[in-house]
Amino acid sequence: MTALAMARRETPGILRVLIAGVVLVGLIVLLVGAGVLPARGWGRFTDPATWRFLAQGLAVTALIGGVALVASLALSVPLALGRIGLGTPLRVPLALWIEGVRATPVLAILFIVFFGFPRLGVGLTGIQAAMIGLTVYTSAVLAEIVRAGVLSIPKGEVEAARSLGLSYAVTMRRVVLPQAVSRMAPAIVSQLITLVKDTSLASIIAVQELVGSGRVLFNFYGNPIETLFVIACIYFVICYSLSRLSRRLEARRPAVERLVVIGEEDQVAPAV
Amino acid sequence: MDPIVANLDFLIGGYATTLKLSAGAMALALAIGVLVASVRVWGGRIGSAAGGAYVEFFRNTPLLVQLFFYAVLFAPANLGLSRDPVVVALVGLSVYTGAYVTEVIRSGILSVDQRQSEAARSLGLSQVQTLRRVVLPQAFRTVIPPLGNLSIALVKNTAVASAIGALELLQAGSIVSSRTFRLEPLAGVVVAYLSITIPLAILTGHLERRLRFAR
Repeated sequence: MTALAMARRETPGILRVLIAGVVLVGLIVLLVGAGVLPARGWGRFTDPATWRFLAQGLAVTALIGGVALVASLALSVPLALGRIGLGTPLRVPLALWIEGVRATPVLAILFIVFFGFPRLGVGLTGIQAAMIGLTVYTSAVLAEIVRAGVLSIPKGEVEAARSLGLSYAVTMRRVVLPQAVSRMAPAIVSQLITLVKDTSLASIIAVQELVGSGRVLFNFYGNPIETLFVIACIYFVICYSLSRLSRRLEARRPAVERLVVIGEEDQVAPAV
Repeated sequence: MDPIVANLDFLIGGYATTLKLSAGAMALALAIGVLVASVRVWGGRIGSAAGGAYVEFFRNTPLLVQLFFYAVLFAPANLGLSRDPVVVALVGLSVYTGAYVTEVIRSGILSVDQRQSEAARSLGLSQVQTLRRVVLPQAFRTVIPPLGNLSIALVKNTAVASAIGALELLQAGSIVSSRTFRLEPLAGVVVAYLSITIPLAILTGHLERRLRFAR
């Protein structure tokens, strides 16, 4: 058997995670032993108060991510349908908006919302600014996913439904969207990974979410490396679970139905 | 427009840093990607799992946390590592993007039918020749469009470098913005980002269509 054939043969998932875990723990032990990672700061994590403090941060992360997700899902369908739009005047402006937002760094959007809204006389807390900024960005990406999903349904189905007398709205709701949803699911879950990771950017506009509370913690205890590592592990547990879910959803579908959205790192990840 | 015109040199400096950071990180990420993907495919079980651990860990944690980590790690003067935030950001962005590049290249290698390398080997080509003449040229096609996508994502991600004090485009824009109490510099920064990402998106879309037809 060639090496390639060995690589192709699936190693069982649990075994793979186990090996990866052993490698990771071994790496940390090695780095601590070599003196690159300090050994003393870990003691703080035996104190439940440390974890309670991080849990408060995690709750803020979940709140920002949750609100942004729900709002983005709600906005993405009208954005996408408006962009596909049958001769509506909104088509071009919506396309420009979606493409423009997707090509802009999330952090730049957060800054503009955070510093811009007060100029319009609307005071925002950091949390609100993060929710709005992340919604603006994520809704544009989800709109592209919805658009790709809707356009992937054969035209004949729409024509058949329309000629049976169904209105455009009913055709979308009863015929196109139900089929598109299962095609969109893996891409939406992948984008959720990006969203969870991007909530960390809120700490830059002074929000005490997970990273923000971590910074407070390590400035107090003086153990930045250990704290950042623990925080990274918390994100990892959330995002890795989501990526497994996305892969599982993807595996159920034929490869030709894979939706492609440009310029998002977590969308590129192939399901090999 | 005044605050932009008055600080044009400063902003252009930030723009240049963003361009350099993106290009440098993409080059390093490609090198990391080719190396780790080879280990994942030909490195046996342990190599494959170690490569997989790298990919999954760095893809599934926020870039911001990774950059903070390097900033702290590089800080002690006795290690003799660079404390220039741009260099720290370059390392962080390369390692982060490298994880994605690894998966793209690995799937590129695996996309070439195994029987092709078997045929090449039985025709008398060496392992290296098979790789260079048969597998890689075909893998190249699969790999180009997703790499274009990653480069767009990378340009956007360079903005996170401002959080560790790298004077790139967004940082330059927000400094001018807070100094002049105006929003125009930030709007200008967005336009500047679009001037990089939109051409890249058009190029990627173009390559994707061309390479699809070429198959």
